[in-house]
Amino acid sequence: LPSLSLSFLIQLQEAFSKGLLKPGLNVPLEEPKKAVNNIEGLKMCLAEFKKNLPWVERLDLTNHPAVDVLAKIEGTLNKKQSSGEIDAEDDFQREMYFYRQAQATVLEALPKLKKLQIPTKRPDDYFAEMAKTDQHMQKVRKKLMQKQMAIEKSEKAKKLREQRKFGKKVQVEVLQKRQKAKKAMMTAVKKYQKGMTDKLDFLEGDQEGKKGSTASKSQMSKKGPNAKRKYKDQKFGFGGKKKGSKWNTKESFNDVSGFRAKTAHGKGGKKFNKGGKKNKRPGKETRRKMKARK
Amino acid sequence: VTIANDLLLFFDQENVSLLVLPDLSGKWKNKERVLVFSSRGINFRTRHLMQDLKTMMPHSKADTKMDRKDKLFVVNEVCEIKNCNKCIFFEAKKNMDLYMWVSNVPHGPSAKFLVQNVHTLAELKMTGNCLKGSRPLLSFDPKFDKEPHYALLKELFTQTFSTPQYHPKSQPFVDHVLTFTIADKRIWFRNYQIIEEDASLVEIGPRFVLNLIKIFQGSFGGPTLYENPHFQSPNMCRRLMRMEKAARQKERQMVKEIRLEKRKEVKEVLTEDVTDDVFVTPAEEKPKEVEHEAPRPSKSKKKKKLKLTELKKRTLLKRKGLR
Repeated sequence: LPSLSLSFLIQLQEAFSKGLLKPGLNVPLEEPKKAVNNIEGLKMCLAEFKKNLPWVERLDLTNHPAVDVLAKIEGTLNKKQSSGEIDAEDDFQREMYFYRQAQATVLEALPKLKKLQIPTKRPDDYFAEMAKTDQHMQKVRKKLMQKQMAIEKSEKAKKLREQRKFGKKVQVEVLQKRQKAKKAMMTAVKKYQKGMTDKLDFLEGDQEGKKGSTASKSQMSKKGPNAKRKYKDQKFGFGGKKKGSKWNTKESFNDVSGFRAKTAHGKGGKKFNKGGKKNKRPGKETRRKMKARK
Repeated sequence: VTIANDLLLFFDQENVSLLVLPDLSGKWKNKERVLVFSSRGINFRTRHLMQDLKTMMPHSKADTKMDRKDKLFVVNEVCEIKNCNKCIFFEAKKNMDLYMWVSNVPHGPSAKFLVQNVHTLAELKMTGNCLKGSRPLLSFDPKFDKEPHYALLKELFTQTFSTPQYHPKSQPFVDHVLTFTIADKRIWFRNYQIIEEDASLVEIGPRFVLNLIKIFQGSFGGPTLYENPHFQSPNMCRRLMRMEKAARQKERQMVKEIRLEKRKEVKEVLTEDVTDDVFVTPAEEKPKEVEHEAPRPSKSKKKKKLKLTELKKRTLLKRKGLR
């Protein structure tokens, strides 16, 4: 039950006698607390309090923020902002709003100050104490540098990664190209060797860097294919050995290609010399004689 | 000693002495003095903020901490002793909440604010710098002109924060701007350094947000002229949060209990049908048979096998085309 004070009881009685009370339980409603807003008092106070100083003393300005140039260009002008409603939660927008307000003030005030001959630019040789110490400013600078370095590093790393991927790609491509070229060259040479083509076009393909190798190639093409190759071709090539074909015919007798002059005259010494004198050990008798001589 | 505008470090070996050239070309007429001090129990951030304000305002004076035992109007006496006509008084409560009084001391109006989001000069993200004691430009939001209480606050701020011309400790240059903006029913304070004539700015700091509580007609007392209806004391905020949490927990608890109770309830039969037991015939009583031997194992496996072979038979026949 609500606590009933005497005055309240009296009020209730009066209301009942007047017929204002309705049946049921009457509970005193608390009026919602009204915030004091003494407009008259405020205005009076302001009038008393105001000091009518010249603008030079106060240096205050009231203005809307400057037009957001970037937003205008991008076409994202916020209608709300232009009317003055700032979203306090959106940090960036809010700070930009404050910034632009300050900017507008500065733009308006600087010409005024110039008129009044108040300097705004400090001359270079004016030494004075600053609000923040030099030490502190150094720290600030350091931090900024660190941030920049971090950004640069990460960018470099990214680029390197990209390059490596790209480089790998390029390398693979180059190797493949080389292999292809080699293959093509070998097939062309073989074709020529077998006698299928008598054009030496493949030589001209990469003449820029391979002038040395062309000489030996032409020599090779002169001699023709290997002796081994020849023999094998004879035996198995062009459809295999022909059964019961003649040998010691006129052509085979006149074919002097198997003739090696040095071997015939017994002068192909390297192969049969066991590689020449390799510390030949003298025989038993010679050794005994050598020993005896000592 | 360095030039601060560009990020250049220039140390002149000859001019090591500090030169504070006062601008005495005119007479200092506007005698404003601001007393900046606090009560006991402030934390490091508030202390730094106070220091920063003193740096920014060359027309300020400092005083020792006031004991909380003394009533607020003692502040007026302190100001009189120090010959100041404005006062910025910081009050810290519960080591968490910071209140700021700005007052025109002898008779004038005073205002109490709750201070939030304090960032001091020493923060490394604020890269600007300005002359110590240079005169600031003040920038106000046009909303300050629309309501009478804001207009009064504007006047109060102007008189408190603007450095008088030709003050002996002031520098003759105007190189920074203080902004007061109204957003989200609070007053946001920022301090920017003017770098170029084209109004490129860098923030110096400090920065804070003021939440107006009340405006009084007298200094630190007197009848209330204005009370902020949107203000919610920090205690109330915290209380609401806690109550919300508690309410949520209570709801969960209640739901649990209801569920448990529902389960325990005797489920009542809704409608009793009289003819339910018409067809209920109790079974005949059988003589009890006691088994002396264990029962034979069931032939379930064999059955399964049979079944399998049956299946196979069927498939065979089907394949052969006889089924």
